[in-house]
Amino acid sequence: MQARARAIGFELRAAGLAFPGTVALSGVDLVVDPGEILALIGPSGAGKTSLLGLLNGRLVPTSGAVLVDGRDLATLGARELRALRTRLGHVPQHFGLVPNLRVLHNVLAGRLGRQGLFASLKTMAAPSRAELEEVHALLERLGIADKLYERVDALSGGQQQRVAVARALYQEPGALLADEPLASLDPGRARETLELLVDLARERGLTLILSLHDLELARALVPRLVALRAGRLCFDRPSGETDARELETLYRVDAAPLETSV
Amino acid sequence: MTARFAPRRAPRATLLAALLLAGLLAWFGAGLHLGDLVPRGNGTAVLGEFCGAALRPALDYEVAPPPGSPPLLAKVLEALRLTVVFAAAGMSLALLLGTLLGFATATAWWSEGAGARAGLGARLLRRVGAPSLHVALRGVIAVMRAVHELLWAVLLLAAMGLNSFSAVCAIAIPYAGTLAKVFSDMLDECPRTSAAALRASGASGVQVFLFGLLPRALPDMAAYAFYRFECAVRSSAILGFFGFPTLGYFLQLAFANKHYRETWSYLWALIALVVALEVWSGALRRKVVMR
Repeated sequence: MQARARAIGFELRAAGLAFPGTVALSGVDLVVDPGEILALIGPSGAGKTSLLGLLNGRLVPTSGAVLVDGRDLATLGARELRALRTRLGHVPQHFGLVPNLRVLHNVLAGRLGRQGLFASLKTMAAPSRAELEEVHALLERLGIADKLYERVDALSGGQQQRVAVARALYQEPGALLADEPLASLDPGRARETLELLVDLARERGLTLILSLHDLELARALVPRLVALRAGRLCFDRPSGETDARELETLYRVDAAPLETSV
Repeated sequence: MTARFAPRRAPRATLLAALLLAGLLAWFGAGLHLGDLVPRGNGTAVLGEFCGAALRPALDYEVAPPPGSPPLLAKVLEALRLTVVFAAAGMSLALLLGTLLGFATATAWWSEGAGARAGLGARLLRRVGAPSLHVALRGVIAVMRAVHELLWAVLLLAAMGLNSFSAVCAIAIPYAGTLAKVFSDMLDECPRTSAAALRASGASGVQVFLFGLLPRALPDMAAYAFYRFECAVRSSAILGFFGFPTLGYFLQLAFANKHYRETWSYLWALIALVVALEVWSGALRRKVVMR
């Protein structure tokens, strides 16, 4: 179960992302070393999801460059990008699970990218004993082993999220990107889940990048905070060196906008 | 721009007035007269006799048949069997063809993806190749279902003669067209969130389609296919009017001979069949689809 993939590092070089009418990100410089754990913080609309999108190649920067594992994404063909993506685990904000399939099949889907079409059909139709055991062990680690054969739409939001995490881990990725993983959880659960994600990343030596709203938790559990506001990098430092006032300003609605779009 | 907050009553009134006008035009255009609803001549008697026969369907021939004929009920059962067989054969072909065409005409294949970094060839395929193939196939599907199964039957009878194949194809062609259209719409309308998540993990286009998109659309697709099978059974019965040995053939004969009680034997058989199908498909749906 502990088949470890090599951790992946990321680099943004003056990366910008503009959609017609809006600027989602501009001039972002960021270096994430392999195995590092960091949180993207900032108010809604600050560009956290866009930044995660750049890191996994879902979005293409309109200026600057994105390097993943030392390779500029702009130089990769479709096939190479796919190969790279199989090594990036992604937990989307709304999980992206197939609600009317069982937990087992949703988790098995994590490894599709590394299988040919025929092998993946076989896995989904009749998973081998080894595959079953591996999925079961993962679910056990996430505390939902008894849900193996449940349909996803019968699970609570928190359990569904664990399924999404299990799917991403089953991928055996070198990095885990999680978009607002605490958004749908109550405060007690939120802490537990964040601890779990950080522990998992540490025990597997994964790079972990999360976007978070809960600053208290972020400061307590995540070693490095990267703050975004209106598409720009506000600050980037170890969480021990951030102070409460700074964080408060970050979220103040009336603070002067850094970016006036359109 | 200023009108944006004004109450929007005018369009609704206009719409109602237009609908009313269209209704009146259609009424007089079609030459409808309420008086026509009243049966004339011996119409009342025929109607009474026919409706009365509903309560006492024939269990045996009303007039002694030529020697060597099978008992009436055996004939009804055989017609029923052939009706189902033709419907099932037509529907199987339609499902195969409709599923293939439905997959091929869904835009979910090519309308999203890692386009920006793709090479020129891939980009041309996505921008020009796929859309034009899509339009062409949609055209084919539209022709298939624009022609009603009875018209297909007329065409195929002329081309192939009165054999089982012409009946099966008459059902299969328009049904495949309808299934393809509805399947592709269902695939395109189902949420793309799981497809996006699988794409992010490096799954190929076909895998994303098979495991991210298809499972979400499948329950609706199955329910619709069941419904279409019921329609196919009715179509298959009616195809008997052209001489195929399904319920319609015997129904028409009995009716033409004014054997209303025999007519009702066939009608009740058809009704029982449709109800049985509904019960069966409902049970299957609950078991397989809804889990």
